[in-house]
Amino acid sequence: MSTLIAKPGDLLTPQAEAHAFWLLRRRIVVARIRQLLAQARLRLSIVLVLSTVLWFGLFGLFAEGFMFLDSAVPHPQWREQIVQTVLGSFFVALMLMLVLSAGVLIYGSLFRSPETAFLLTIPARTERVFLHKFQEALVFSSWGFVLLGSPVLLAYGVISAVPWYYYAMLLPMVVAFVYIPVAWGAILCLLLIRYLPRGVGILLALIGAAAVLAAAVLIRGLITEMQSELLTPGWLHQMLSRLRFSEGRLLPSWWLTNGLLSAAEGNWSEAMLLLGLLISNALFWQQVAIWVAGLLLRPAYSNLAGRTAAYRRPHSAFIDRLAASVLCLVPRPMRLMIIKDLRLFRRDPVQWSQFFIFFGLLLVYFVNIGSFSHSLHYSGWVNMVSFLNLSVVGLLLSTFTTRFIFPMMSLEARRFWLLGMLPLGRHAILWSKFLFAAVGAAFPCCALILVSDLALRVPRNILLTHQLSCLVLCLGLAGIAVGLGARFPDFREESSARIAAGFGGTLNLVLSTMYIVTVLALTSLPYHFLVAADQAARTFAHAAPHPWMAESLRLQLWFRLWLIGGTIGGVVLGIATTVWVMYVGMRAFKRWEL
Amino acid sequence: MIHFHNVTRSYGRKVAVADLSLSIGPGELFALLGPNGAGKTTTIKMLVGLLRPDSGTVRVCGYDVAQSPREAARLIGYVPDQPFLYDKLTGREFLEFVGQMRGLPSTLLAERIADQVSKLELGTFLDELIETYSHGMRQRLVFAAAFLHQPPVLVIDEPLVGLDPRSSRLVKDLLRARTAAGASVLMSTHLLWLAEEIATRIGIVDQGRIKFLGTKDQLQQLLALPHTSLEQLFLELTEGNHQPADTQKHHCAAADAAPPGGTEGRAAELLGTAGQGEADCRGPYETPGDKPACKPDGDAPLPHRSAEAATGSSAPDH
Repeated sequence: MSTLIAKPGDLLTPQAEAHAFWLLRRRIVVARIRQLLAQARLRLSIVLVLSTVLWFGLFGLFAEGFMFLDSAVPHPQWREQIVQTVLGSFFVALMLMLVLSAGVLIYGSLFRSPETAFLLTIPARTERVFLHKFQEALVFSSWGFVLLGSPVLLAYGVISAVPWYYYAMLLPMVVAFVYIPVAWGAILCLLLIRYLPRGVGILLALIGAAAVLAAAVLIRGLITEMQSELLTPGWLHQMLSRLRFSEGRLLPSWWLTNGLLSAAEGNWSEAMLLLGLLISNALFWQQVAIWVAGLLLRPAYSNLAGRTAAYRRPHSAFIDRLAASVLCLVPRPMRLMIIKDLRLFRRDPVQWSQFFIFFGLLLVYFVNIGSFSHSLHYSGWVNMVSFLNLSVVGLLLSTFTTRFIFPMMSLEARRFWLLGMLPLGRHAILWSKFLFAAVGAAFPCCALILVSDLALRVPRNILLTHQLSCLVLCLGLAGIAVGLGARFPDFREESSARIAAGFGGTLNLVLSTMYIVTVLALTSLPYHFLVAADQAARTFAHAAPHPWMAESLRLQLWFRLWLIGGTIGGVVLGIATTVWVMYVGMRAFKRWEL
Repeated sequence: MIHFHNVTRSYGRKVAVADLSLSIGPGELFALLGPNGAGKTTTIKMLVGLLRPDSGTVRVCGYDVAQSPREAARLIGYVPDQPFLYDKLTGREFLEFVGQMRGLPSTLLAERIADQVSKLELGTFLDELIETYSHGMRQRLVFAAAFLHQPPVLVIDEPLVGLDPRSSRLVKDLLRARTAAGASVLMSTHLLWLAEEIATRIGIVDQGRIKFLGTKDQLQQLLALPHTSLEQLFLELTEGNHQPADTQKHHCAAADAAPPGGTEGRAAELLGTAGQGEADCRGPYETPGDKPACKPDGDAPLPHRSAEAATGSSAPDH
């Protein structure tokens, strides 16, 4: 304990400093938990229940997947190879995403946070300030991994009946693994900000473009020019060969994959070796990151503060003029609000870089997926893949509306001293947000689905159905995000990420997911079933009369009815959801007192 | 105690602070005045270690702020214009954290907190979460944190923003008391009446350059405008009717036979050449009573000694 008591006149010892920061964090966490328990038990319960349901849903899904693998691939060596390759690829992808997300998180929390400015003016070690933020980034960037990765790994353990030490090693291995890419992301961020302080937006765009390009090359390499037919042993062999890049022995993802699989197979000594390797590398890279921060954080912080703002021409940009033309029928106050939001979006690299990276990746994938449609033999798959693509776009859009649209109303509260005093009805503010979100989502999403459908050469009717579904999705998701944003605002929080991670954001994500599933089930799913039934009927037409023939015709009739009713129902649902949620949001918004 | 030596700092092509040389001695309350964008906040941020000069050095009690930021920070109490506070801590917990980081032993820390609570009248809300505080309560808490370790150097950006008359009075009295106890205070403000009321010396900056250093009387003499308010003098000077920089500084120094504040060598300080003899500072809590020391001391850390040398290690505990 003596080291914790600083002598008068001395700077704090590292131990005393660590103790002070630990106490600070503990007090903040305890205060938050107490507040949650005292004021928001219902919200906390809902979030916990939803997270648990999601976790068990994923666990069940992956358990089914591993059971299917056991039954479909009876040869143990093949099965092992598939599991190793799939887990290896998953961890490689995760590693790259963690590097990127940690870099972005460290940038935001270290260089844009007022807390850093405070900590740099008290006699804290620069390294300690960095470590404080590094630990935050570690938690924020890995919670998704825990939520998504833990059901996969536990499902594998349960289905493969692994020994107990697989479970014991799971947490230390995963934690040690996460440290490494997060440290890389932090080092990368520090180096970039220190030596390339100007044009952070351009920098992020370049990183995003590089990520999209790399993904394009990878996807093209994976799904094009396959010599064998889809889902045959030859195809599987080729696919596994092309995923061999994940088996580089120097990759931490390989250490994690093989460490876990060794533990699962009962080879505990190999597992312990790889666990030791992961832990030692985690400590090493964390130490390197701390060392780099000690050297670079203060000069980088100073450099970034000296960055000049880009010169902006006094007249409006082309995109603003274009938006004004497109929205010429919208009342002028709302149009001005939308253009203001468009400007804020353009000038926030965190928003547009994520938007372009994820939609860019989808675009690359959709363009390349056309190779599936080259053979008529795969028409059933084409049908299903086009439907899944629509679902993916909807789900991705829901994450964006949750992350960026939902917090808009809360953040607008900070500007309410101005907006509230303008001769502008509150309904105009809310509807302008809705239009901004709906139009902003509809253009890229409909374009993406169009690209996917054209690449897959789906029938025209499916293409039109998909466009309709996509429009209904965009309208509804925008309405849900804006309406709930007004209904469950968070006036205290300045960070849109934290607003999105709160109760309202979680509810928004869950309701959005339910909405997507319902709309797709009503509008697009029946058409896919109809096409599948039609294909089955044509197959049976070449064969001898069969009782399935009549059944197929009867199903087609049902699917047609479902299609007509569902399409009408989907459109009605979309409009009703939008109007209802916006009404709820409007009522709440009118009661806002700021 | 505070020395800027030929300090220049730019933001891209814009020079925010140009070749600034300035010294502020013990017992001096220096008010930095200037129009918006003149370079006041940049000057303060360089002094507290948030920004680094492109050229020149900033020293606090002999420590180069860019080279030894921890040692310098230990000697500074800083009140920014937009202070950061942890919303989920109580006021007491915040003060405890700041006190711990400044190395105050727990018994001394408890005494100091009680003292600040009494002086700044924090008692009624100290154990509530900071997120419930009004602006004035937050501001008083920030002052308490800045005064907690009785620093020899106080740096204050817009001290009275959001304070009610009673709190303003409290803060002014505390600043006067700290100055009387020998502390150096650098205060940036747009409230010219405040500078007129409590500052022992003023500096007027415009477009990154010092246009005047001295007292109000000296400024009146310089502009040949006796019986004129500081506001009028400020406007006269910053509207570009008068020649800036060196000639004026020299003028002020020559006229500074007996400056208010009464520290020896003030004329030399006005010229930016003083301070060699006060390079060594003892830690703020080493001095007896409330009086901060900024004088040579055999036991004190050497001015240029690094943080690592003083503490033995630079790596934090994980």
